[in-house]
Amino acid sequence: MPQELVERRSRRAGLLIALGLLIQLATLAWPHPLSFVAFLTVGCPIEAAGVLYFLYALVSPAHSKP
Amino acid sequence: MVSAFKLEILLIVFAIALAGLIAMRADLTRARGGKVLAFFALFLFPSLALWTGFSEHMERATSTQFCLSCHVMADYGRSLYVDDKSYLPAAHFQNNRIPRDHACYTCHTDYTMFGTVKSKIRGVRHVLVQYFGTVPKPEDIRLYQPYNNRECLHCHAGARSYLEASEHHKTPDMLGQANANKLSCMANNCHDIVHNVADLKDATFWKERQ
Repeated sequence: MPQELVERRSRRAGLLIALGLLIQLATLAWPHPLSFVAFLTVGCPIEAAGVLYFLYALVSPAHSKP
Repeated sequence: MVSAFKLEILLIVFAIALAGLIAMRADLTRARGGKVLAFFALFLFPSLALWTGFSEHMERATSTQFCLSCHVMADYGRSLYVDDKSYLPAAHFQNNRIPRDHACYTCHTDYTMFGTVKSKIRGVRHVLVQYFGTVPKPEDIRLYQPYNNRECLHCHAGARSYLEASEHHKTPDMLGQANANKLSCMANNCHDIVHNVADLKDATFWKERQ
């Protein structure tokens, strides 16, 4: 079912984004050079992956089927 | 007055709440309003939060505290407090010729179009070496390339103290050569005492009056 698929993908995207944002929040609260590395290597990619996954959910072939 | 940092934190918390709402109630996206909400929650706010977080981390990475947080840089930090006017960084730092809270970055960034980006990339490399590589001794740390006068002239160019100093007119074309980076400001017998961390054990230090 396309709608269910979109919902499932939106849920995953939401989880990824929330996790990435939580990591970002933690790195901002931790004034240490390693927080900078953690943001760049962990938080940032997870968050970006969530956003891209959501965009993929919008344009994926399953979604465009009637 | 709410600070920019607090606003950033609020934005991130709000973005987490929205993303969490969509994660738990994905069925909201069935309605038109829910689709709009999902666009805000899963694209607009996270993108904004990511950008502000990135900017905040980049800003922090230019602080003196950040640079000196690696143990190997401690002596470079101490060199800023040497009680000797001939120590170029100390004279700049103690007389507020550079912002103290961004002292390292002010002198060690490249004042070119992509200078800031290059500095950040070098900074990331330094952090990775600090935690995952072999850290050199403080006295073995060298610049990647000879210090460019361009960085000095970013502030000093056109300044009366720079143009009229008698030491800058020892030869007729001395200023021209310095401006063209053919004669280093840190050449022998000019401003050649920089951090000199190997000599700090014999130095006396300035104690700032509160």
